[in-house]
Amino acid sequence: MVGQTQKQAPIQVENLSKTYQVAEREGGFTSALRGFFKRTYKDVRAVQEVNFQIGQGEVVGFIGPNGAGKTTTLKMLSGLLHPSGGKVQVLGFTPWDRRPEYLRAMTLVMGQRNRLSWDIPAADSFLLNQAIYRISDADYRQTLKELDELLGLAPITRKPVRNLSLGERMKCELAAALLHRPRVLFLDEPTIGLDISAQARIRSFLQEYNRRTGATILLTSHYMADVTALCERIIIIHHGRLKYDGGLSELSRQIAPFKIIGVDLATYAHADLRAYGTEVPNPSGDGKCLVQVPAEQVAAITARILAEMPVLDLTVEDPPIEDVIERAFQEKVD
Amino acid sequence: MLKIFQRLWQVNWAEQWQYRANLIMYLLYGLVSPVVYLSVWRAVANSQNTVKGLTAADFAAYYLTLVIVDKLTQEITIHIFAYKVQDGTLSDDLLRPTHPLLTNGLMYNIAFKVLTLIALAPIWVVLFLAFRPDFSHVTAANLSLATLAVLGGFAINFLLGAIITCIAFWTTRVYSISEFIYAFALLLGGTFVPLDLLPVAVQNVARFLPFQLFIYFPIQLILGRLTPDQIRMDFILQAVWFGLALLAFGWIWRAGLKRYSAVGA
Amino acid sequence: MKHVFKLIAAYLKVNLQQAAAYRADTTFSIVMNLFWLVWELISLQVIFSNTSSLSGWGLGELIALLGVWRLANMFMYSIVWPNTERFNTSIRDGSFDYNLLQPVNSQLLVSISRVVVWRVWEIVLAAILIGVGVSMSRSIATFSNLVSFLVLALSGMAVLYSLWIVLIAFTFWFVKFDNNVTILDALMSAGRFPATVYPPWLRIIVTFVIPIAIATTVPLQGLRGDLAWWQVLVFLGIGVAALFISSRIWRAGIRKYSSASS
Repeated sequence: MVGQTQKQAPIQVENLSKTYQVAEREGGFTSALRGFFKRTYKDVRAVQEVNFQIGQGEVVGFIGPNGAGKTTTLKMLSGLLHPSGGKVQVLGFTPWDRRPEYLRAMTLVMGQRNRLSWDIPAADSFLLNQAIYRISDADYRQTLKELDELLGLAPITRKPVRNLSLGERMKCELAAALLHRPRVLFLDEPTIGLDISAQARIRSFLQEYNRRTGATILLTSHYMADVTALCERIIIIHHGRLKYDGGLSELSRQIAPFKIIGVDLATYAHADLRAYGTEVPNPSGDGKCLVQVPAEQVAAITARILAEMPVLDLTVEDPPIEDVIERAFQEKVD
Repeated sequence: MLKIFQRLWQVNWAEQWQYRANLIMYLLYGLVSPVVYLSVWRAVANSQNTVKGLTAADFAAYYLTLVIVDKLTQEITIHIFAYKVQDGTLSDDLLRPTHPLLTNGLMYNIAFKVLTLIALAPIWVVLFLAFRPDFSHVTAANLSLATLAVLGGFAINFLLGAIITCIAFWTTRVYSISEFIYAFALLLGGTFVPLDLLPVAVQNVARFLPFQLFIYFPIQLILGRLTPDQIRMDFILQAVWFGLALLAFGWIWRAGLKRYSAVGA
Repeated sequence: MKHVFKLIAAYLKVNLQQAAAYRADTTFSIVMNLFWLVWELISLQVIFSNTSSLSGWGLGELIALLGVWRLANMFMYSIVWPNTERFNTSIRDGSFDYNLLQPVNSQLLVSISRVVVWRVWEIVLAAILIGVGVSMSRSIATFSNLVSFLVLALSGMAVLYSLWIVLIAFTFWFVKFDNNVTILDALMSAGRFPATVYPPWLRIIVTFVIPIAIATTVPLQGLRGDLAWWQVLVFLGIGVAALFISSRIWRAGIRKYSSASS
């Protein structure tokens, strides 16, 4: 993430806020009757004064627990939703003006929702998109060829979309979303519900696409694997507020400044490693004992273990990223 | 057994109460045609005093009675069952020890009927005031006979509807087929026009078809326009058609189930 | 503008392919359609076997009206119903957002994404009915009458279209009210007969509330030469105004959907 001047950054978000009004309703007949005459509303602050900028070609992960405000933010960035306050500039446009020039330069892919028509082959939906986005025949053929190469589309585009597996459908949805070579991609849970190999395929596709086209990508996901594979920078949002904006490893250093030492011992008896640090359960079942120690003491403690215990094998690892993020949700990160 | 029907009634009533807005819409939908036809025939009757002996007020009486009789004898089984055959959820119903159409289907129809009639009542009063029908020949005796006729008519219509619904076991075009048969009922049952106004040859055929047994027959019975011979004849026809329909339904239901379980849910 | 035509052509092509894929269904639907035409003609025959004139309208004129009505009906079944279904589904499952993301007017997309293409043959059928009806009624189909008729028919369709757009736009404010278009379809059957046949209160409903009559009776009156040229212009104006008002309401609906503060 190199210095981008304010003018150049394709995505600029300033003090963005979104507050919904939700009608309050308790259960019961009298409450329903009362509600008929006078509605009481509650404010839900979905997004509160979020600030960030994303530079050209960056791939940024946007993570947070359910209801944190990720999807709401993406919707505002793609122009689907008007904010309650703040400013957004994407590629120099205000998204909710929904200018055709803006819509032709960006794309939003929502994991659970289908853009493609259910009953017709994906290839026909692609042709529709060509007409909608006014793509020339030459550009269309070229782009489709590249997407086919990267995604392996050829065998599946002639089948009606309803006959495709979830993974195949996602590939086609992505292809349809990228036919017009958008410069900015918003992806909302693109790998949700897919099996491991399909997820990996999508991930490597996005990496390659970013490399080839220099498109700016902002993606939300529940899967850490997506984030760690694709994003050098992450933005954490929780209760509508921005909690952290920076690199993954820095996050680790800041809020989980320790390492996990994994020790494979020569004895069968359970060894007591509490003298070295906090014992941590090992979910992987590989027999290693895990000890959590402060990062700056790793070298010293490792030396002590090697000297004092019958060690067959020893590893030093970062704490699992899920735990780090989990902590980030709970704490305030500066 | 009675307990089952009681429970089914409660469940169906509660379900349909939720969709009462849709019900009002559906009701209005069903009222447009009779009002349109009535207006047409009144216009004809007003321009030449009577049409085959019927005055504008007589037509009004016919169509206003039609609106009620139609709601009393109508059935909507196809809308609640055909889709279940197609998407396999019929299997859930088949697991229960009761016949899906003859119990739940029946109760659904009746709950719908009651709700529709309740919603219809105020509208009917308005129509009454707007069209000024001539109900002078209605007698208590005929009304009580008509209750029987309506019951018999509903029984026949319900079975016919069930038979058509069973066609869903063989084709997805069951709705079109149902529409097709409905078109015949419209013409030959007396919904579009009282049978007296049809060409004589057509009347003679329509007399023996089941359609008029749940539309024209009860209406004319209420309005006091049938002779005792005609009344007797129509009741006999009701009994005959009920028997036929029952047999046909039993047969097609069994055949359909066989196919359903062979093809797989 | 060229792009709009290209877009419409693309959607028509897709829908045509779909119809071709379901050949048997399409054939069956055409047969059923013809069957209903026979039924409608029979019902007209029954009426006119009992009278020679229906409030001043002859059998030929009613046959021509049937043709006009079938045009409006075609519009309902080929465009309104399929697109209403798609719209309601897309609001429910959230895919309507994709409609807004495309660099094309959202109202246009909602109006053409589904078209039941085979129904276009009803134009031919309607033309035949109108031709037969006019020749039967022995009214002179002058050139100016024909022009009036076309203008009024298009204008009437514009009014129906606008009403439809307003009805589905209601979903933006009242999400649960997805039975909205049924009222339009319910009153369609009132368009089969001239509005002058109906009692005054019904005449008002079908002319001003759900103006089916503007798409059926009025064009027929134009064909018969009943209307002065300025009256034709008034109806044309109504059609244009309807299009304008409905597109404004649609836009307001979109603003509500994306919770714009205004």
